This record gives sequence, C-alpha cells and structure tokens, in this order.
Amino acid sequence: MWDQVGQALRLSMTKMLSQLASLLPGIVALLTALILSAIVAWALSLVLRRSLAHLDFDRRVAQWGLPALAEWSPSSSPTRLVTRAIAAIIIFIGFLIGISAFDGALPSQFVIRLFAYLPDLMTALVVLIAGSIIARFLARSVLIGAVNMNLQYARLLSVGVKWLVTVLAVTIALERLGIGGGIIRLAFGILFGGIVLALALAVGLGSKELVSRSLEREASKTSNPQMKEPVGHL
Amino acid sequence: MELDAVSQPELEQIERVGGADLVIGILDAESMKENGSAISVMRDALAELSKPLRAMVVCNNGTHGPAPATDEIDRDKQSPAMFSCSLPAPTPGSTPQQNISNAYRTVFAVGGKLGVRACGVIASPSESATRRWIYRLVQPVLDLGFDLVAPCYTRQKMEGLLNRSVLAPLHQALYGQQLQNPLGPDFGLSGKLLQKLLIQDAGRRPGLELNALATIAPTAAFGGFQVCESHLGIRTQRPTDWGNLSSLLSEVLGAVFLEMEGRAAHWQSIRGSKPIARLGQAEMISPDTSATVDVHDMIESFQLGAKNLQDVWGLILPPTSLLELRRLSRLAEDQFRLPDQLWVRIIYDFALGHRLRTISRDHLLRSITPLYLGWIASYALEMRMAGPSEVDARIERLSRAYEENKSYLVSRWRWPDRFSP
Repeated sequence: MWDQVGQALRLSMTKMLSQLASLLPGIVALLTALILSAIVAWALSLVLRRSLAHLDFDRRVAQWGLPALAEWSPSSSPTRLVTRAIAAIIIFIGFLIGISAFDGALPSQFVIRLFAYLPDLMTALVVLIAGSIIARFLARSVLIGAVNMNLQYARLLSVGVKWLVTVLAVTIALERLGIGGGIIRLAFGILFGGIVLALALAVGLGSKELVSRSLEREASKTSNPQMKEPVGHL
Repeated sequence: MELDAVSQPELEQIERVGGADLVIGILDAESMKENGSAISVMRDALAELSKPLRAMVVCNNGTHGPAPATDEIDRDKQSPAMFSCSLPAPTPGSTPQQNISNAYRTVFAVGGKLGVRACGVIASPSESATRRWIYRLVQPVLDLGFDLVAPCYTRQKMEGLLNRSVLAPLHQALYGQQLQNPLGPDFGLSGKLLQKLLIQDAGRRPGLELNALATIAPTAAFGGFQVCESHLGIRTQRPTDWGNLSSLLSEVLGAVFLEMEGRAAHWQSIRGSKPIARLGQAEMISPDTSATVDVHDMIESFQLGAKNLQDVWGLILPPTSLLELRRLSRLAEDQFRLPDQLWVRIIYDFALGHRLRTISRDHLLRSITPLYLGWIASYALEMRMAGPSEVDARIERLSRAYEENKSYLVSRWRWPDRFSP
C-alpha cells in the first residue's frame, strides 16, 4: 500500500513539476516581452519628449486653452503626461503579448472585449476633453462679463459655471463607460441641482446691491431729466 | 462693396440717373424728419458750391423702402440736380457700428456705380448734423482737391474719450497722421479714394470685409491721398450705454486691430507724425461745469478687474505691466493715476494678443473694459480743474507716449516669443 502511496505522490509531483516546467517558457517569454516593451517605451518616450520640447508643446497647450491638461500632468508638464501615457500603452501591449505565451485563448478573449470597449472609451475621452475646453471657455466668458457688469461675485459665478459643465461632461463620460449606472445619474442630479441652487442664491443675494444701484441711477435720471451725461466715448 | 442690399426699384432708379458728381449719405433717420426732406436740405447745402452739380442723396427715409421717384424737377439752371434713394433696412441683430459700416458700404457702392467725383457721409446724430456740415465735408474735395476730409468736432473734455485715449493717438503713431477722429463717423471722400476703397473691399472674401469706417483713414494715409480735417462744430453724443460698453470697445478696437494687422508691413517703417491741414474755424464753447463725473464706480470696476482678471490679462500683458496694475488697484481714489507709458503698452500688448489669438478675440477685447474705465477715472481726476488748453496738452502728451513706445510695439510684433519683462 505504501508503495502505491509513494508512486501516487511521485506521479503527482512529476505532473506538478512538468506543469511548472511547461509554464517556465511562458514566464520567461512574459518577462522578455515586458523588458523589450519597456525598452521600446523608454526609447519612444525619449524621442517624443525631445520632439515635443522642440515644438514648445507645453506653451502651446496653454495657448490652446487646455491648462487643465497641465494641472493633471506630472510636474505640471503636458509633455510628460503624453510621453508617460504612450510608454504605459506600449508596456501594456507588451504585457498582452507576454500573457498570450501562457494561453492563446485567454488574451484573445481579453483583447476582443477590450476592443469592443474601445469605442466607448474613446467617446468618453472626447467628451471629457470637449467638456474641459467648453467649461474653460464658458467660465472665462462669464468671468469677463460679470466683471464688466461690476458684479463682486464674478469669480464665484465663473467657477460655478465651470463645475456645472465639468460635472455634466464627467457624468456623460461615466455613463458611456457603463460605470455606476443609476447611482451616477442620481449623483449628477443632486450635484447639478446643488450647484444651480448655490449659484441662484449667490446671484440673488449678491444682486441686491446691483439692483439698488441701478434703481437709484434710474431714479436720479427721472427726477432730473435735464441732467447731462458728461462722458462720451466716440 | 456691392449693391446687393439695395432693392430692385432703387437699382433701376440709379441706372436711370446714369452718372452724378456727388453722392451724399445721411445715415441718421431722424435728421430728415426734423430738417425737412433730404432733397431740400441737400439743395440748400450744395447751393453754396461754386458750380451746379448732379447729386444723389442716399438716406434713411424712415421706411427703408424705395423713395418716391425724384427727377430733375423744379430747378433752375444754377441750382443742383438732386436725386434720392433710400438705405436698406439694418440687418436684424446687427450692432450700431455694423449698421453704420453697412450703410457706408451702400453709399460707396452707389457712388462707385454713378462714378461720382466726391462723396459725403453724415452718420452723426441728427441734432448736431447741420446743412453746413455737408458743405464743409464736400467743398474741400470738390474745390480744393483733397481726397479725404476727416471731421474735427468741438468737444467738452469728457467727450470722445475712446478717440482721445486710443483711436487718435494710435492712428498718429502707426500711420503718421495727426487726425482728431480717424474713425469719423462723418467723412468727405474723393471719387479716387472711393474707387480705391471699393477695389480694396472687392478683393476680400464675402463675410470677411473689414469695418468700412476703420479702413478709410489708413487707406488714405498709405495710398498717397491728400488728407485734411474740417471743423464741423459741436457733435451731440448719444447717451452712454454703460451696460454695453464692452461691446462697443470690442467692436471698435477689434476693427482697428484688424486693420492694424493687415497693414503691419507699412506702419512698422513709419517714424514720427505730421499735422494735417485743418479747414474752417473751431467753434468756441464754454466748459461744462454742471456735469460731474463719478469716478468711484470706474475705479471700483478697475479694482474688480485687477482682482479677478489676472489670469486673462496674464496671457496678454508682460509681468511688469501686471505688477503695475496690481499696485494701481491698491491706491486710494484721489491718488489713482494710470501712467501714459503703462496705458500705451497695454494697448500695444492687446493689439499683439489680438494678432496672435493668445485667447479668444472676443474675450481679449472685452477684458480691456476695466482698464479703459481705469484710464477714464485717472484722466477725469487729472483734468478735474483743467481748461481746454490743459486738456489739449494732456492729450498731446499721451500721443507722444504712443509715438515714443512704438519701438516696443514693433519689437514685440516682430519677435513675440522673445521674453518681455
């Protein structure tokens, strides 16, 4: 009986070791793919960083009205953000190649699902970028308009508008990605409503002075119709 | 400039007239209602000219419809032959400045079609525009051979401030001609200049035409045309719409900056300026002491701008200007003074920012409003007790600052990426 037990153990050990041995080339292949992809990523990011620096990419991004990109970037440099993103994508591709060395079916299924998800991911990215640009443009319009109207809470209005658009863009992007579902919609409703209410209260309370000033001006004009406006521009 | 906007019956009438010596544009509807029919007003005005003329009057007859057929009726051999046609209705949603520009185009197009020798346009409000104005704008063209007659108004010290602070000194520094009102809006033009403007405008794609008013004086300055100014007297100003000041600034300065961009190759080589012949006698008026300017709100607007618009101004202005503005915003009201050099550099930097599209052009032009109000406040405080001669000297000093700082503009225009402290 002990002989049979020993034989079973030897067999299982042999099986286990042979299975482990069969995995070894896959592990080596994965490591090789990762190392190679890391080298390619490093080389490519180096070339890309130099090219973007030559094109003065950071300054141009600020000029195009995308300072949000700089805010999210490491060391506030959009060039670094772009190069690191490219490097990460290359390493990820290397990882997928390495994984396929273990089992051909597993990564291919994964890749199929990934590619099916890609259009949604791209749409979400475009929505986020467009939302950021629109938010910034509208925030600046509101800020300049409010300052020209002599509104003391101009900055608050501008920030409120920026957040409204940003929240809207993020919600659309998340919905597109299928993350959160009903919770996101609910959270969006609460946040959007909250911001609108806060802005309405701020504008309402802050406008008291503006309205009274305007009424005073009108009243003085009515009481003295002969009063001449001394300032002319053209 | 085309006759597209003119109705078919009007076009037929212009065709019937065939040719004329003079085209007169009266752009303000009220003037004709108050002063009688356009024909009789023009006939009185032109009767003083040395020889009888055939004249076409383009005016807003209140309906914008075809004017009643006007042939050479009731006239003796010595009086001018008058015809009239009406201005098309303003495009809905267009601003007053755009309306004036479009009306100018129509008058020019009619003048071009008729092959006129002279053109006079009165765009000022009816209360101030008199029959005498037409004569003063047209006579130097017909009798003295000038190509452009720019207006010269008698003003109180707080009137025409955009002209005084930006338009006139900028025109002087860029184009080398000392005009009081480079943007009119009342002008007399020769047929030669009219044709030049029409050709220039025809070369531009539809929808990309420049503001007609902003183009006239620079075209005359660079085309070798004879320019003079004519004293027209007091010009009644429309009440200031403070709520729309930023729109006014955006429209006017936008047009001037665009013109400046288009002629950069020419103005960069011009140094100094020369005075222009002034015809007629300046009307004397007593200083208006009853109207006082409340600078408090203007300074408050400036301070609010300095507090909130640093991010926007930071994209246009160099760090030293921003520092100066921050320092100014902390000054007490009675000490508030905006130095000429700083103001001039601000205008030059905004012109450059407009050219480089550093930010949206509309944002850029509107963000200048608090700075302009700051300049007005500073000027009002400085000129509170000043008489006409002191005001003239003050504006002369500002014009000199524009000329002295032109090298700064040229340098930044040529090398915008070079660091400017």
